[in-house]
Amino acid sequence: MPKVLLIDDSAVMRKMIQRNILQSGLIVDEFVEAGDGKEGLEKLAAKPVDLILCDWNMPNMTGIEFVKALRGSGNNTPIVMVTTEGSDAKVEEAKSSGANGYLTKPFTPEQLKTKLGNFLLIK
Amino acid sequence: MSINAVMDTIAADITESTKAIFETMIMIPLQHSDPYLGDQHQIRSDVLGMVSFTGKYYGVIAMFCSKKFALKAASSMLMTEMTSFSSDVRDAVGEISNMIAGNIKTRLTAKCGEMNLSIPIVIAGEGLSITAIDNNPVVADATLSCFSKDKWLMLPFTSENEKFSVGFLIKEST
Repeated sequence: MPKVLLIDDSAVMRKMIQRNILQSGLIVDEFVEAGDGKEGLEKLAAKPVDLILCDWNMPNMTGIEFVKALRGSGNNTPIVMVTTEGSDAKVEEAKSSGANGYLTKPFTPEQLKTKLGNFLLIK
Repeated sequence: MSINAVMDTIAADITESTKAIFETMIMIPLQHSDPYLGDQHQIRSDVLGMVSFTGKYYGVIAMFCSKKFALKAASSMLMTEMTSFSSDVRDAVGEISNMIAGNIKTRLTAKCGEMNLSIPIVIAGEGLSITAIDNNPVVADATLSCFSKDKWLMLPFTSENEKFSVGFLIKEST
């Protein structure tokens, strides 16, 4: 059953994303949460997941540093950036670093469903 | 692009972004009023959520609101009635500030070049007042003390008789 790692320094945003995913009909068995990229790497080492949703601006280790570190370690778990950073340069930087998708906040439930539907099954 | 040119267009950008964030993710429709330039005597707030940006231009984007509005926004985001100013409420204000700043930054980047955002800072108190200190900008990082005597561009919003504002300060790096 699919597991999703949510990396965002806002606990409120992690809750909102979980609620939106479940309400949109995307099938997720378990959410794993991390408050920054460093904690995200630690959680991944303890438990592999099927999809990672990652914010960009976070303390300790940013989202882009996390993407580079994960891909550098040979881990190919799909990563979708979920961030307020919406410039073309940031999107390109994320994708060239190994992110598989990009969703800009604010997003509608439909936009979330469309983006994550590439990686998760829908009921 | 000059600071004046940025200021001419940024008010509409802030209004549009803030309304989109509240209507899309917080489920609180907003009405907006005309922007104005406010000094420290006009800006009073219980809660301040603030994100600074640095680059060719540097400055601050901040949300000023009452505790009542902060509780209302956090309750809507969490779909749980929040009655005290808890860490979840502070987190919610920080995330709203972060979303507003991120969206403004994207629009500013297209006009003013790449910028970096800080992590949001949330300050809460009763009748918090913001005072710009008459200091020379001796550090590169944007802080309130760097904006001596500069006025904030203030964007007022209303939701069911509850008011809050988004403030914006910008300087060109030397």
